[in-house]
Amino acid sequence: MRHVFPTMGTVASIELPDDHAHRLADLRAIFRATQARYSLFDVDSELSLIARGALDLTDSSDAMRETYLRALEWRTATAGLFSPHRPDGILDLNGIVKADAIEQAGAHLDAVGCDRWTINVGGDILVRGADDPWVIGIADPTDAQGLISSVSLRPPRRAVATSGSAQRGDHIWLGGDPGPARFVQVTVVADDIVTADVLATAIVAGGREALDDIADRWPIDVLAVDREGQILATPGLRPQPPAEVTRMAG
Amino acid sequence: MRVRAVLGSIFASTAVLVVGWQAGAVVLAPDATAAAQPEAASATSADGTGSSAESSQATAAPESATAPTVAPTAASDSDASAADSSAAAAPSVADGTFTGSTVDTRFGSVQVSVTIAGGAITDVTALKLTDHESRSVQISNRAAPLLREEVLAAQSADVSNVSGATYTTDAYLESLQAALDQAGF
Repeated sequence: MRHVFPTMGTVASIELPDDHAHRLADLRAIFRATQARYSLFDVDSELSLIARGALDLTDSSDAMRETYLRALEWRTATAGLFSPHRPDGILDLNGIVKADAIEQAGAHLDAVGCDRWTINVGGDILVRGADDPWVIGIADPTDAQGLISSVSLRPPRRAVATSGSAQRGDHIWLGGDPGPARFVQVTVVADDIVTADVLATAIVAGGREALDDIADRWPIDVLAVDREGQILATPGLRPQPPAEVTRMAG
Repeated sequence: MRVRAVLGSIFASTAVLVVGWQAGAVVLAPDATAAAQPEAASATSADGTGSSAESSQATAAPESATAPTVAPTAASDSDASAADSSAAAAPSVADGTFTGSTVDTRFGSVQVSVTIAGGAITDVTALKLTDHESRSVQISNRAAPLLREEVLAAQSADVSNVSGATYTTDAYLESLQAALDQAGF
């Protein structure tokens, strides 16, 4: 059964077997705690205290500093395309905490022995259950009701995240004038939700060059839509199985 | 690591042809075996004076696996005879596409095809690349344009969830995800 509730400025949709429906309260608590710590809309959150100088990062909670460290590691790995530092100097961890909360919620369901579920928070999705692969639609950035593709998640692929400028800013800070090669929407399929979410963000920020670089460096599949509506897909998201003939040059 | 190794063996097989050309001879020896490291092949091609026999000795592959050998599939008779006798010098390489034999490496089976036009390699294509998990190796995970008609027909009825850029609560209400959620209540 599907359970839906608002959290972190968006909507969570969680599919649970009926005999695990009572776990929903635990999951809501995980998302509520994440929001209470990291929301910049909540003036009393720990991150808001840091943002206005009322709390030093060095005096913050272990969880805050661990999340910051994780964000910094991703900043390094993506050569700054993903960054927790806003151009105005404010520390904003919302590019990573939603995925982190999804990961925590999934780990909780695994720990209590729930073996078939989906967690979708604002279009970022983590699933469990291999026997009958979950099919995930990829939204059409120009049509709220439409899909441009779909992907069957088979282990180890369990996570899908989409970033883009079609909806709200998604914590992507583009430097300079976005050129025609920029993507309006990037979907990344990965083994874990933090990787999928961070890299989708980085590819939106970095454009085609970042797409080629990141797709080569991480075991992910990518589907990107550019400003002209053209769709680019890595081999794993092309309609047929990877072609037998792989072109090397020419 | 695996990708690098596969690329290395393709480079090595390409080097065989390059060496052959710069020596002014066709090296299409069906039975050439690994006898040198890739660096050796490069060195031979660099001076461009090696005999064709030396060139075939320079056939190389990482991990000393049997190197890919190349047999013409679209060559003229004279080139075919050159292939039979690697010691015989041929004036030039005919245009055409040449397909190598399949070589098993610890990274999987490798086979390449080389296209030559006007005496220059214009294309190298991997014909067979599989790893031990029988999954096609993606030499490059590069994204390529996809026509809308090529995209999987995405039927919303088959979909459990929709991945999209972060939904605001308002946008959620208008979304296909909301419709799917209602159906799943």
